[in-house]
Amino acid sequence: MTRGFAALLIAWALGATPVAHADPYEVEPDLAKRDADYAAAKAAIDRRDWQQAIASLEKTAVREPESADLQNLLGYSYRNLGQYPLAFKHYNEAIRLEPRHRGAHEYIGETYLLVGDVENARKHLAALKDICLLGCDELRDLEAAIASYESARATTTAPKSK
Amino acid sequence: MNRLVAIVIPPALLAAALAFAHDTEEGKGRLGKVTFPTSCDPKVQPDFERAVAMLHSFWYSEGEKAFRDVLAADPGCAIAGWGVASLLMSNPLAGQGASPKGAEQAQAAIDEARRIGAKTQRERDYIDAVAAYYDDFANKPEKARQLARAQAYEKLAARYPDDDEAQIFFALYNAGTQSQADQTYSAYLRSAAILEKEFEKYPDHPGVAHYLIHSYDAPPIAEKGLVAARRYAGIAPDAPHALHMPSHIFTRVGAWEESVATNARSAEVARKGGTDIDEAYHASDYMVYAYLQLARDDDARRTIDDIRTVGGQSPRFVAPYATASMMARYAVERGDWKAAAALQPVAESYPFTNAITYFARGLGSARTGDLAAARANAAELEKMHASLLAAKNTYWATEVEVQRLALAGWIALGESNNAEALKLMRAAADLEDRNEKHIVTPGRLLPARELLGDMLLQTGDAKGALRELEASQKREPNRFRNYALCARAAEAAGDHEKARQYSTRLVDLAKGGNGPARPELVQARASLAQK
Repeated sequence: MTRGFAALLIAWALGATPVAHADPYEVEPDLAKRDADYAAAKAAIDRRDWQQAIASLEKTAVREPESADLQNLLGYSYRNLGQYPLAFKHYNEAIRLEPRHRGAHEYIGETYLLVGDVENARKHLAALKDICLLGCDELRDLEAAIASYESARATTTAPKSK
Repeated sequence: MNRLVAIVIPPALLAAALAFAHDTEEGKGRLGKVTFPTSCDPKVQPDFERAVAMLHSFWYSEGEKAFRDVLAADPGCAIAGWGVASLLMSNPLAGQGASPKGAEQAQAAIDEARRIGAKTQRERDYIDAVAAYYDDFANKPEKARQLARAQAYEKLAARYPDDDEAQIFFALYNAGTQSQADQTYSAYLRSAAILEKEFEKYPDHPGVAHYLIHSYDAPPIAEKGLVAARRYAGIAPDAPHALHMPSHIFTRVGAWEESVATNARSAEVARKGGTDIDEAYHASDYMVYAYLQLARDDDARRTIDDIRTVGGQSPRFVAPYATASMMARYAVERGDWKAAAALQPVAESYPFTNAITYFARGLGSARTGDLAAARANAAELEKMHASLLAAKNTYWATEVEVQRLALAGWIALGESNNAEALKLMRAAADLEDRNEKHIVTPGRLLPARELLGDMLLQTGDAKGALRELEASQKREPNRFRNYALCARAAEAAGDHEKARQYSTRLVDLAKGGNGPARPELVQARASLAQK
């Protein structure tokens, strides 16, 4: 998760997107460069100020209702507040907007583990296996998280030796 | 809307405007004929209409300056503020719209126009129509702004049924609401219906021809845009966008000769135009792509060598993209896998432009049996893919993922793991089908579905190969490699008549070819001579 989330926040390299941007040749697709509220939300996440992050993200969401990354960050912020139903809602919205969003699949899977729902975590692992035919960090991380969870559960449920 | 009252433009005003209509063609370069009556000082009317012509050809910086110059020359010309605000909306068909800074400037222009006070209701209505887009800008998503703009212009067009500019701008902004999910292209076709009528009345209007091309800019309806595409470059030959833009339609339908012609002019104008080299490289890439489909390999080589002597600034990624593409295309379209394997990355480039080179190198290596080199290139592609994902650059990350899957497929084929190879190559083709081609490129280095057909042919499934190759033609029509592979696949599948048809198409496509004859062409000619 640490690696995954660090990747989520890495500064933006180079590139462009097609029809979703005014100048289809623009090099910088970073929403944080275009939207002050989104930039403020990311700064709040860096400070682990989840309430402020949510407030800023929701302001941006009015203008950018189709940003899967924004929904993913909302999910992450609610998850850190322990508000799992809202975290699920926003992770699912991120996946609805971008079905191949690797990060959202990993993070929602990990959140399912937090509430003890390993079956749903496995569904997102299966989705990642379809998405990452050549392997990816998100797949490996969720696989490891599920393995850890099951190992811990096996330990706690195993009969104690006399 | 039903309660709106149709208002007729005063004949005297219209006559005054018509007197100026042809001035857009004189003295300052040809931008087409635009008639836009105003209540401004008659001395600024020609410059105003010239600025509107620039707006119709998406000439943003020059157009904004032109409208501001009009306002400076006639401080009472409030409608010039409408022009400034219109240009600051940027390309209405590209999706994102005005930048926050642009929106501030546009709102200031609208406020100033309202402060000045336009002298006619019609001009005030135009200003209100553009203002609808900027209304509560910070609290609306772009789609809502686009919809508000289209609705405002629909009202304007209904209120002034004799005002052709209102009809034309409504058609443009309505086309801007076209959803990618709507495969009936209802918004595009509604706009096209309006514009086709205007095209009959105004065959030299730059906006009508231009917007018709955009309204048909989707694979199933692209053929309908050919007439406008052929006309547009001639209407506004001094607008850089007008020279190159028609080739997007020519490429969609595989009209290579026309693509070469219009891009040659575009590249020439762009090279004379200043320090921004992007337009010249972009046009050259389209030209090289077209030449290679025609097997005019010497012309392609000369175009590459010629454009690479042009130095200057590339403010966007266009020139590096075109450079990497042209070099790689020249190798892979001719099936020169050895040359592909030896390509060198373009210095100071971007992850997704360098990826083109590594993809070509990987394919070249895999197809010449050097699997170690192919794997090394695949590892480079993986790094580029990771950097694009980290950058949240979803579009280009997906494009590079397609390349990774395809290359992994060809490596698996080299390892004689046919099932894995086909699984990966099919995944690449399916993923590419879901990611619309970027307008920077006339086409991917090689269409993934065409590569799937190629692979199926190599694994002995000729019928499956033909099916995929013909499916690929729907998005990438009239390609040399596709026809050559189809001829082979049909022959292998025992369909000799179809093989003959594809060989005939191939020979016809390459009838003006130059350079050493490609083996596929020699084979097709021999095959036809035997029958």
